[in-house]
Amino acid sequence: MRIACTRYKPKNMNTLKTISLALALVPAMLSAQERFATRTGHIAFFSETSMENIEGNNRKVTSVFDATTGAIEFAALIKAFEFEKALMQEHFNENYMESNTFPKATFKGKLTGVGEDEMKKEGNYTVTVAGDLTIHGVTKPITAKGTLTVDAAGQVKATSEFLVNPEDHGIKIPSVVRSNIAESIKVIVKLDYAKM
Amino acid sequence: MKIKYLLLSGALVAIIACGYAWFQYNRSAPSANDMPVKETLTATELLSAFTTDEAAATTRYVGSTEQVIQVSGTIRSVDVAGDSLTNVVLETGNDLAGVVCEFTGGNAGKTWKPGDAATIRGICTGLLMDVVLVRCVAVE
Repeated sequence: MRIACTRYKPKNMNTLKTISLALALVPAMLSAQERFATRTGHIAFFSETSMENIEGNNRKVTSVFDATTGAIEFAALIKAFEFEKALMQEHFNENYMESNTFPKATFKGKLTGVGEDEMKKEGNYTVTVAGDLTIHGVTKPITAKGTLTVDAAGQVKATSEFLVNPEDHGIKIPSVVRSNIAESIKVIVKLDYAKM
Repeated sequence: MKIKYLLLSGALVAIIACGYAWFQYNRSAPSANDMPVKETLTATELLSAFTTDEAAATTRYVGSTEQVIQVSGTIRSVDVAGDSLTNVVLETGNDLAGVVCEFTGGNAGKTWKPGDAATIRGICTGLLMDVVLVRCVAVE
């Protein structure tokens, strides 16, 4: 750093002042952003029919939440969904989700219903999440209710439950097994964030 | 006599077919110990492969069907998440990304701690912030 300063010769003192001011503001700008992240979020989905119940779990979901702007994103690897039965997992990956072609599911959106000041206080807050959900390469807008919990230590947990129709995302289900899979799949998202 | 023989044979075939279908329907996913090891490499090499060319690394290490890879490295962290889930993160030389190995059902077995050397087999599922391996087993 010292070497760089000695070699760098600004054209005038105003330039130097501008650079100094910008550098001084960087820590303040960074501290103003309240960001939370997790690498071990949990997404579970449930298909319940009279023929059979299917449950898949993925406990390696990554998510970032910016409490300042409300921006929230998460991503999940399709092949990281695990099932009780291997055959369900194979059909899920090969026949329905085509995970070799579409290896990830993503969500990008905004969380509203809780202010930045409330995020600093312990409590349970009912929130709304709205954004774009991409599954099987098809992006659809989605809005869901959820709960944001801030504990005494400032740890943040987010949960939400919503329904997804496979056909909305271009997932074709053969008629011969249509009665085995629910028209609407219940999805539960649980994210235990740590402050970045 | 011939009809009786045919009926018996048909019944036998049907029983075998039903038994096979029942077995297929109910079989659980195999352990990484019960599958051949497709690739052996270090955690640093694995992350580097994904960050250099994610598509090529996905083809090679994730594969079109489940496959086991064996990864060795130094443990960055061990996170016990409940009774049946342990996440072991291997160092990669990149502070922002690691190789996360998920152990279920108490399979982590060892009393690992950060800084220990580890060799782990698991099913590679791809790259998010980290490279993710599931259904892992420790290699003695």
